[in-house]
Amino acid sequence: MPKVVDCRGFACPQPVIETKQALEKTGKVTIIVDNPAARDNVARFGKSQAGRVTIDEKKDGIYITIEKGKQGKPRTKAPSSKIPAPGPSVVVIPSDQMGRGEEELGHILIRSFLHALTEVSARPDTMIFFNTGVKLTVKESEVLEDLQALEKNGVEILICGTCLDYFNLKEKIAVGQVSNMYTIAETLLSAGRLVTV
Amino acid sequence: MQDEQINSYGVVLFQSISSALRAEKLLKKQEIAYKLIPVPRHLSSDCGICIRFHTQNESQIREVLTGKVEIQSFCLL
Repeated sequence: MPKVVDCRGFACPQPVIETKQALEKTGKVTIIVDNPAARDNVARFGKSQAGRVTIDEKKDGIYITIEKGKQGKPRTKAPSSKIPAPGPSVVVIPSDQMGRGEEELGHILIRSFLHALTEVSARPDTMIFFNTGVKLTVKESEVLEDLQALEKNGVEILICGTCLDYFNLKEKIAVGQVSNMYTIAETLLSAGRLVTV
Repeated sequence: MQDEQINSYGVVLFQSISSALRAEKLLKKQEIAYKLIPVPRHLSSDCGICIRFHTQNESQIREVLTGKVEIQSFCLL
């Protein structure tokens, strides 16, 4: 018999937390929730734990049964993050957008990306900002908080001085260090892993 | 415990990026502190970004957004 955890009336992410705790103790649990968002979150979590997930929508609630180890292997991190790179990891930010194409979307993506960088375990050693990318490093930048957090955690932030000058932003820089093309070229060429967004 | 409360966050999840953007504009106009972040892994929404807020601003944010933007849900982190 699976362990039953009644999560009806719980606000998210409580059902997921309850599920996680229950799965740590036993291999098979049934979680009862009362809304589709909780159902999806619990089911997704169950699948991420390599569980077989069955959902039974009853009148009094949604019953999600998760059986551990019944399907595939648990999702693991990309192996690349475990293999030490032969040199520093460098992330290049050549623009104040992520990707090319739609400008408004690009601005959102870069904010989302830089926030994610503060949370993932594989931090870059150095980040290089050039062209419109330097606009992300000034006082009014919406990602300043993230860049400052990265710098505090040991990420070296190099900013193209020529670019700051071009945009007249030299006085407004609020994180990192102004750099020149020699240092930027050396850093790019000695990188063990080079990532451009 | 008190410190935890001061630093506790919640997120507003949206059905679409355009809703998230509309919400962002409204919050900016009202000068309410928020941060646009990717939807945390343990949650889900139809769009991949959400708005994080300090829990002390939750009621104010609800007030500003209700009826103006399609919201999927509010979640505490």
